[in-house]
Amino acid sequence: MLKLLIVIPAYNEAESITRVVDDLIQNYPQYDYVVVNDGSRDKTAAICRAKGYHLIDLPVNLGLAGAFQTGLRYAAENGYDCAMQLDADGQHLPQYIAPMLEMLEDGADIVIGSRFVTVLKPRTLRMLGSYLISWAIRLTTGRAICDPTSGMRMFNRRLLEEFAQNPNYGPEPDTISYLIKNGAVVKELQVEMAERTAGQSYLNFARSVQYMIKMGLSILLIQWFRKRDTVTPYPERSL
Amino acid sequence: MDTMIPLVLRALLILGSFCTLVFILKRVRHAKMQIEDTIFWIFFSALLLFISVFPGLLYWASDLLGFVSPINLVYLLIIFVLLMHQFSLTERLSLMDVKLRTLAQRVALNQEKLDSDRKPAEEPKAEPSQPQEKD
Repeated sequence: MLKLLIVIPAYNEAESITRVVDDLIQNYPQYDYVVVNDGSRDKTAAICRAKGYHLIDLPVNLGLAGAFQTGLRYAAENGYDCAMQLDADGQHLPQYIAPMLEMLEDGADIVIGSRFVTVLKPRTLRMLGSYLISWAIRLTTGRAICDPTSGMRMFNRRLLEEFAQNPNYGPEPDTISYLIKNGAVVKELQVEMAERTAGQSYLNFARSVQYMIKMGLSILLIQWFRKRDTVTPYPERSL
Repeated sequence: MDTMIPLVLRALLILGSFCTLVFILKRVRHAKMQIEDTIFWIFFSALLLFISVFPGLLYWASDLLGFVSPINLVYLLIIFVLLMHQFSLTERLSLMDVKLRTLAQRVALNQEKLDSDRKPAEEPKAEPSQPQEKD
């Protein structure tokens, strides 16, 4: 069986982190996990320590991309075969990890836990961004990605090494689009997601617009000029 | 006609716009710049291109605002945009300073903790060796 690391980036998730991690520990002990505390200002780190969770505590806030990359570096340095992102707010349900792993073993480089493979994407304002990004990816790669903004993504060893050491490899749709264009095999699995029960969404209106501008420019313009480096191996590091 | 933007300047603006774009995309290609940092420069080069290709809007605006020559508005606009960017860069740099300080302090404190955790284990070994030397 593939050795999987579940990376749980957490920023101010004190209210929900115990529920998510306790569920993993009790019901899915076969998977390794690590909580990456992204310099939270609440008691996230303290709670993790008190509960004895496996924790990487970043001393400063790096943002989601930086926090997730920290987890992938840990995976790369500790001989994991694959790694995935699981949100600390409880949106991602661990029951789908096993089928995602199967798809990865069948030869996918990236497996996305997608809400809209067999379910129709609702035509709401909230999903407008998702529609636009799907359209941009289709335009530039010719491939349909039904749920590009889903954070529930699993990467094989080669991809996790690539994600671990490169800048501009945020866990975002533009990276997915760029990798498809450069020959990565990306598959989607239909999953259900829970509504977040605590905390609040990171995206407000201004941030959404900023996000869309970045994704739009990155997918439609910048990715044509990027050069993929699959040669450089993950560097050995000694403490 | 003498108050209009000269053709030479328009050509220069177009050239400047393309150079900016090429330079930025080259930095991204070699993974020397983060994508979010290129957004400003892409919009900036688009602005230069827009001014040089469609100067009509600028003539109208400079007339409305009472500029002697539209070219003054071009300069003012560019200076203003660069000032805004300068401001946001200062803000980021300042934040980065704070983060760097926090990081360095944390590393040093961790090292101190490692060192002081190690000391008690080493001391018992060091003590018996001293009397032996006296003998």
